[in-house]
Amino acid sequence: MSARRLLTLLRREVRATLRDPFTVAVLILVPLVALLSFSFVLSTEVEDLSLGVLDASGSYESRRIVAELEADGSFVPRPYATRAELEAALVSGEISAAIVFPPDFQRALLARAPGQPPPEVQLLYDGAETVLAGNAEGFLQGLINAAGAELVGPEAARGGVVVEMRALFNETLDGTPFMVAGTFGFVLSFLTTLITAVAIVNEKIGGTFDQLQLTPATNLEIFLGKLLPLGGMFAFDVVLMMFASGFVLGVWPRGNALFFVAVSSFYVMTSLALGLFFSATSATAAEAVQKTVFASIPLVQLSGFAFPIRNMPMAIQWLTEVLPATHYIRISRAIYLRGAGPLDLLPELGALTVFAVLLVGGSLRSLARRP
Amino acid sequence: MSAARQSGAGRAGDPRPRRISNVLALAWREAGLMRHDPTFLAVVFAQPIMMLLLLGFALSNEPANVPLAVLDRSATAASRRLVEEVVATGYFLPPRPVSGYAEGRKLLEGGDAVAFLVIPDDFARDALGGAARVQVLLDGADPLSAARVGGILRSVAAQFDPSGRAVAARREDAPRPARGAFDLRKRFWFNPTLADRDFFLAGIAGMLLTNLCLSVTALGLVAERENGTFEQTLSLPTRPLEIVIGKILPYIGVSYLVLGIATFGSGLLFGIWPAGSWLALLVLTLPFVCASLAIGVLVSALARTSAQAVFITVFFILPSMILSGVLLPYQLMPDGAREVGAILPLRWYQIGLRRIVSRGGGLEEVWLPFLALCAIFAALLLLIRWRLKPRLA
Repeated sequence: MSARRLLTLLRREVRATLRDPFTVAVLILVPLVALLSFSFVLSTEVEDLSLGVLDASGSYESRRIVAELEADGSFVPRPYATRAELEAALVSGEISAAIVFPPDFQRALLARAPGQPPPEVQLLYDGAETVLAGNAEGFLQGLINAAGAELVGPEAARGGVVVEMRALFNETLDGTPFMVAGTFGFVLSFLTTLITAVAIVNEKIGGTFDQLQLTPATNLEIFLGKLLPLGGMFAFDVVLMMFASGFVLGVWPRGNALFFVAVSSFYVMTSLALGLFFSATSATAAEAVQKTVFASIPLVQLSGFAFPIRNMPMAIQWLTEVLPATHYIRISRAIYLRGAGPLDLLPELGALTVFAVLLVGGSLRSLARRP
Repeated sequence: MSAARQSGAGRAGDPRPRRISNVLALAWREAGLMRHDPTFLAVVFAQPIMMLLLLGFALSNEPANVPLAVLDRSATAASRRLVEEVVATGYFLPPRPVSGYAEGRKLLEGGDAVAFLVIPDDFARDALGGAARVQVLLDGADPLSAARVGGILRSVAAQFDPSGRAVAARREDAPRPARGAFDLRKRFWFNPTLADRDFFLAGIAGMLLTNLCLSVTALGLVAERENGTFEQTLSLPTRPLEIVIGKILPYIGVSYLVLGIATFGSGLLFGIWPAGSWLALLVLTLPFVCASLAIGVLVSALARTSAQAVFITVFFILPSMILSGVLLPYQLMPDGAREVGAILPLRWYQIGLRRIVSRGGGLEEVWLPFLALCAIFAALLLLIRWRLKPRLA
């Protein structure tokens, strides 16, 4: 191991990367675009949703309820004259929910007595859009009950137990911080692996990799010469994303920012090692890419980035534990959202270290196989 | 074989059939190449199966195994029954009793509980008087789960009858006793239990075809240019557009094969068959596949190396999965994002797929997505013509 040789390799790598404007653009644009496009997709709000209205009663009360729904801004009522028209609109997806007032609605409402059943209102939801239907249900039910309480007076008190609810860490249940913290995991796992795999396979095809192996540089030096510059660039990406999400989206880490950058840079090394491993075991660029993309499907769907791991069957939950990204995403969310420190995260940090040792060892071994 | 014979016939006749035979000959060559490409075969066969299993078994937005901490200061029969009713919904793990407020908060902070239920010591007395309150703290760090769990707890509490017997309150579709001013009768059409599986599998063909069409054409064309075989094809007496169409034709066939795997796979494995017209499904798929292939061709025309083609493809596919609404409802996205998503073919295809597969629609229900897809395809063809011209001059 010679410091001078390593320095030469580092300089070569940095120059080669910066000379290619496409790679530089990818390194800067992809994290920013990912950050902005993922940040808003998790929404628990309902806005301007088309709501079919079939008002067979045509009464003051039913119109009043519809007007209340419209005034709130969550729903845009669309009147339909017949049940058939309403059902056709649900099938074609024109409306996502519908409210049906029966002809005797007004009579039942005015004749309301303590012992009698309350007037019936039908709510139809488009179950084909599961998340949408679930969200719309909560909003619609709350709005109609509120409108109804105004119409018939406060004696329509609810029974049961009143729940005082409060969300810690995120009062408004805004989805942005959750997705921002996850996007770090996505970018640092996927982009890093892809860039490394493609860069090294291209060198192999161009023959420069063989030339490199003929120089007196040792395997470890070649490995570090590849890894450190790329690692440095991705550490820059971490800081870039942190400032972008802070200034543009108003999401700053709750925990220690320096600790976050340090853990992230450490994690970058494990993904880079994975990229090295893919490229060392592939003959063509297409093969390396295929491996990376194939590995990225579980990354997005099983790492907890988009879907909570808790909701998965037990066997698959075990499977998610062998993905390094699962552990990193847990860490980044803990630091970003709950302000966790190193002591809270010891098991996860330990898991990451194990992956780093295994992957770095594996990719060093695969590099050692000289032609 | 047949292509070669037709090309012979074309030479003798007028130039019009010749153009068709050129295209067919190229298509034949391309189809022969595909059969021998193992990575291509993996994309066609392994990927649909993997996605079917993931989307059918693994992924769900519905809460499950939710860790719950309970501080029961009341410790009465009524409070214990409230906790039992919460657990009986089936969404929660066995509740973890805590001895103090600080301990419960600590569980939330460490991510070891998603919800923390606090039952005050005068709960039983207030419940009999009809004015009982409980407190729930949620882990807002996971907002989607927190919102769903909060809703579940609220509905259990609203139905709680402190004097009487436990109300069977299993899952969201269970009938509920009337509360409030109206008797709200709700029904979820097309998917009465709101199973996420139905939502994901209805759109699976869109995801698979996007992956297939984009990656195969973009990477394939760039690789040919790098290897020099594209120039060889150019030197043939064919027009650039004929080459592109000839290359694309076999992939349309493969796309229908993948559509078949996805449809029969979700039908045989999960019992989710298209509820609507199969004809509409076949018709709607054509402009979508054409548009996706055209995007692949466009990417290959923009990229200079395979590495660039890979990056452009991958980072086109990922946002389009998010913005199109195939995994998450696009209706809930903010204004700008909803409109950007509307230029993606996948957006319109998944709208059409849901109308046919989930809601039982036919041709008359999908004319709008069909026309939108045709328009996107036409726009892409213009772009390709403009982009390919100088290169091939």
